Amino acid sequence: MSTVQPAQEEAPQKTSSWLQRIWRNYMLRRVAAALFKIWIVITLTFFIVRLMPTNPIDAYVNELMDQYGFSYEEAKDQAAALFNIDLDSSLWDQYVQYMANLLHGDLGTSYRSKGTPVIKMIAKFLPWTLFSVGVSLLISFTLGILLGMIMAYRRESLLDHTLSALASIFSAIPNYLVGMMILVFLGVQWKIFPITKMRGSMSPGMKPAFTWAFIKDIFYHALLPILTYVLTTIGTWMLAMKSSTISTLGEDYITVAKARGLPERRIVTAYVGRNASLPLFTQLAISIGFIVGGSALIEFIFVYQGVGQLLLSSINTRDYPVMQGVFLVITIAVILANFLADFVYGWLDPRIRI
Amino acid sequence: MAEATQTPYTLKVENLRVSYQAERGKVKAVRDVSFTLQKGETLAFIGESGCGKTTLGLSLIRLLPTTAAIEQGKIIYHHNGEEFDIVNLSEKQLRRFRWREFAMIFQGAQNAFNPVLRIWDQFWETARAHGETNKRHLRERVEETFRLVQLDPDRVLRAYPHQLSGGMRQRVLIALGLLLKPPLVLLDEPTTALDILTQRSVIDVLRDLKSQMSFSLILISHDLSLAAELADRVATMYAGTLVEIATVWDAYYRPLHPYTAGLIRAVPTLSGERQDLVSIPGSPPDLISPPTGCAFHPRCPYATDQCRQNTPTLIEAEPNHMVACWHWDEVAADGGARMKEQVEA
Repeated sequence: MSTVQPAQEEAPQKTSSWLQRIWRNYMLRRVAAALFKIWIVITLTFFIVRLMPTNPIDAYVNELMDQYGFSYEEAKDQAAALFNIDLDSSLWDQYVQYMANLLHGDLGTSYRSKGTPVIKMIAKFLPWTLFSVGVSLLISFTLGILLGMIMAYRRESLLDHTLSALASIFSAIPNYLVGMMILVFLGVQWKIFPITKMRGSMSPGMKPAFTWAFIKDIFYHALLPILTYVLTTIGTWMLAMKSSTISTLGEDYITVAKARGLPERRIVTAYVGRNASLPLFTQLAISIGFIVGGSALIEFIFVYQGVGQLLLSSINTRDYPVMQGVFLVITIAVILANFLADFVYGWLDPRIRI
Repeated sequence: MAEATQTPYTLKVENLRVSYQAERGKVKAVRDVSFTLQKGETLAFIGESGCGKTTLGLSLIRLLPTTAAIEQGKIIYHHNGEEFDIVNLSEKQLRRFRWREFAMIFQGAQNAFNPVLRIWDQFWETARAHGETNKRHLRERVEETFRLVQLDPDRVLRAYPHQLSGGMRQRVLIALGLLLKPPLVLLDEPTTALDILTQRSVIDVLRDLKSQMSFSLILISHDLSLAAELADRVATMYAGTLVEIATVWDAYYRPLHPYTAGLIRAVPTLSGERQDLVSIPGSPPDLISPPTGCAFHPRCPYATDQCRQNTPTLIEAEPNHMVACWHWDEVAADGGARMKEQVEA
């Protein structure tokens, strides 16, 4: 009897499905949830993209007629030669096919740049967006936190009022307007920046290498997009950090830290700064997604070859596989950023450590 | 009195006046408070909420919020033959003075620790700020203080503040306060926000510590039983002024100020005959424009025209028993019985 009983107890554990096991493991649960979210977004974009008025062929035909003066018949023949896609298969079949390819890591090929795999196009454009957006986020976040703390320490001073006003104004203006203003005033009217030379993501003939010349060059070309992103996002960080710092300064542990005779520098960094910036890290993750999505217009304005520009041109030509690919990348970026934020947050704040 | 001046003192406060700047005007939170804390003595400040106890405590260690200021007065600190006025210390001198010489253990220890640092790190940074460089040496001292407050150093030092219970946090804060063996300690409502059993253990710890270590203690509390257990003398505060300073025995059994008498009647006793609990009628006065004369006169059954017009000063009515009341002799004669009659009438 005694040898049988443990076996009986083990039995329900063995029969417990793999789904339950995933549910019990926090990490696996997170990964499963992330995959589920990605699938939802892929499905939605697949259908929404196809719900847009005009299809890739019509878009191409119209373009040929408008730009090159083709007659409708000529344009149609030209288009037929370019696109040999089977638009007869049902939407459902296309969806199943697309998902099946995706599972093999195949994002399809571009309709317009004939035969170019979408993954290759994204690999070419994405690094520039990640670079420009990442650098701006880093600058804007750290600078915003510093300025926000200064504002909180000097609250009600002239400096605080000026910075608050500027922060509100810049966070209220859409980034493409700021981009256009930079282009028009700093570039064209006052000629501070040679915008034609700054176009693109690097100078022609520049070879990617880990050299000072290359690093200087890519920063030079990314300067205006970075300036725009920083100007339009720093205000939110400043204001959030200011209010967070003010409430942290009222905490008992700050008074106690002073009573303990800790050096002011230590209180500002380890006590006020660290605790006040905690809630901002959650916002940071969310903003990563937004900024990648919002890069389209900025990259268009400054002719910067990032994934945003790729998205914009693929929308114009109704290049479905490219659009889907870019959306997929943005989705993954947001989900990864959230993932990362949870870990960073847990590392920074022991109270929510799992 | 002559005897009192001869014994060495730790803290001598003279005519201290502290005000907050509010929208409606100046809030006179501490008004001309003078007292002397003898070496090794425990002095308890009691009074209702809002009577200026905590403001007094914060001003002693110069931690008042920016809206408040010390308008006048001296806070003379004396230790090992050296004496200086805390009011005149620079920020740099203050930083070194705080905790090493004068540790303030706050009310609401629940939130007294930085939530993102381990307890050990907070002990270490405190010691380092006051010149400690040897971690092992500090560890030994921390373990010694932890034994005094009955905490397990291995477990607690590794923990983050949120992993400790309220009572443990209070004891950790007490241990941190005594870490540098300061000659002067201020305890502000050390048992508030703790349940009754935890309060008991904290009080026991405090009493043990007092008998084992020789520090002077200022205790701020509205808990009269806590004051009775720990204090040598009791100072009663009302509307920002000191109205009575007496030994614990005198304060409880022979109060000379009607307000002290009222406070004691508002507390139930476990032993002795059953008495009706009496609360003091009325509410504490507005500190922006306090009543003329004695601030307590609107609530006082002994009040006369003299009380309404002239402010009584703190006088030594009986040996080692100071009171600020025109009619202390009447209170002494009837034991403050009129405080009770007033309610019944």
